[in-house]
Amino acid sequence: MSLTAPEKKLLKAITTKGSAAAKIVRQLDLIVVGILFFAIIAAFHIHIMLTVGDWDFWVDWKDRKNWVTLTPMLLIFIPAALSYPFMQRFGLPIAGTLCALCLVIGEWVSRIVGFHMWTYFPYSMIWPSIAIPGLMLMDLVLMLSRNALVTSIFGGSAVALAFAPANWPILAPYHLPVVHIDQVVSVADLIGYSFTRTATPEYLRIIERGTLRTFGGESTLISTFFSAFVCMVLFFIWWKIGEWVTNLGTVPNRFKSMVGYSEEEDDEDAKETV
Amino acid sequence: MAATQEGLASSKSVEGWKLNLKPMFLGMLVLIAIFGTARWYQQWAAWDYGLDATDPMFDTYWMTVLWAEIIVEVTLFIVFVTYFWVTRDKHLNELTPRKEINRMIHWISMLAVYAFAFYFAGSFYAEQDATWHQTVVRDTSFTPSHIFLFYMAMPVFIIIGFSLFTYAITRLPVFAKRISLPLVLTVCGPFMLLPTVGYNEWGHAFWLMEEYFTVPLHWGFVFFGWSILALAGLLNQLVKRMILIMPLVVDEQGNLTS
Repeated sequence: MSLTAPEKKLLKAITTKGSAAAKIVRQLDLIVVGILFFAIIAAFHIHIMLTVGDWDFWVDWKDRKNWVTLTPMLLIFIPAALSYPFMQRFGLPIAGTLCALCLVIGEWVSRIVGFHMWTYFPYSMIWPSIAIPGLMLMDLVLMLSRNALVTSIFGGSAVALAFAPANWPILAPYHLPVVHIDQVVSVADLIGYSFTRTATPEYLRIIERGTLRTFGGESTLISTFFSAFVCMVLFFIWWKIGEWVTNLGTVPNRFKSMVGYSEEEDDEDAKETV
Repeated sequence: MAATQEGLASSKSVEGWKLNLKPMFLGMLVLIAIFGTARWYQQWAAWDYGLDATDPMFDTYWMTVLWAEIIVEVTLFIVFVTYFWVTRDKHLNELTPRKEINRMIHWISMLAVYAFAFYFAGSFYAEQDATWHQTVVRDTSFTPSHIFLFYMAMPVFIIIGFSLFTYAITRLPVFAKRISLPLVLTVCGPFMLLPTVGYNEWGHAFWLMEEYFTVPLHWGFVFFGWSILALAGLLNQLVKRMILIMPLVVDEQGNLTS
């Protein structure tokens, strides 16, 4: 792709150290970083909390197949969609890492201010899942390959393959067995029994099937591989959604005469611009 | 705080570059004050007066807040949107590139305030809704959690979003000549979270779905939350416009020429 003469002029202007053009662009960059930071926290966090939130909120729910299976699948939607504009428009293979970082910040603020300070649950019960390693690997594959298909296969699967191992160091102690009322339960179960959650299934009734439990065993592996397969497909689908959203165009403004433009005025310039 | 650069213009007749970030920081401070006060009120009044919707104290301490919020928000929405429309630039075709850049960057800085407001609705207040409803109580549609999430945090970003939209189509040529679809999605998508509350409340009352926060009933919020992805398209359009008009106001050394 070759640059036009005004674009070459602009490039030279904004790369001149200390120039007004450089300052304008730098200030714009900083504002955009702020916008993306808050918007991504909001969008990614609401997406995760309402699709896999229950398994993310409570430590005893983290011993379920659904946590290992569904969380990576849902983690990949927004990072994959944002990978398109970040990489294709700005040359930045950072969408996965940025999304994961924003998510963990949003989750921790909520867990501290909401779950801990308002409803008094201990941190040991409400820590959020660790998503950064898998999404960083996804970015790494995109950076090295610069190819959406390769990234969906290796980067998409990496999100799922890294999920359980990344969480294992913090989760393992909660799987230790303890005897509670003559029954063997895990430490996580015991914490769950101790802090009442009046509307959750365990409190109302026991509804889960035994096969949903993993105990960190082979069902974790099986769930991980199934999740990796789905993540490969999902990365590509959401990359395409990101492409579509980034390239959305414009429609005529019927009210433009009210701000000084004539109805007949040729708006080819605006069409090209946006 | 204002970031001011003086003496950047190559000629004395050219006004130096001046970025006024005061409105952005002021907007964020106002939001912190509003949402911080609301969070403090929850801490103070939720456990003592917010556990039973049939209690007269609930009416005094919570329903009063709800009605006040609705009155203030509807008023502010009408005032802001009307103000930006009535004071619109009626000669946008005569706007100089320099003024367009100034307005565009000012508008982008206010987009940061919009994103900040959306954070409180989509993250901060949304997830604490889970902890209150799943572990304490959700007896009606109006709870100490909902009264600030649905009826304060959401309307606040909707007011800011529609004000920004009106500013954009009345003051920025790039959005006035033709309506940007990413801009529409960025504003209207999150706005749709509020009507989704209607379905959410109806569904909760009909199916009593408190056991899981991840129930399909909640996925309407997820779907409309995705629309913020259109920010990528919006930023793409803004960058393209900047590339087009900046060469008209700077020389090769980066000095302002107009």
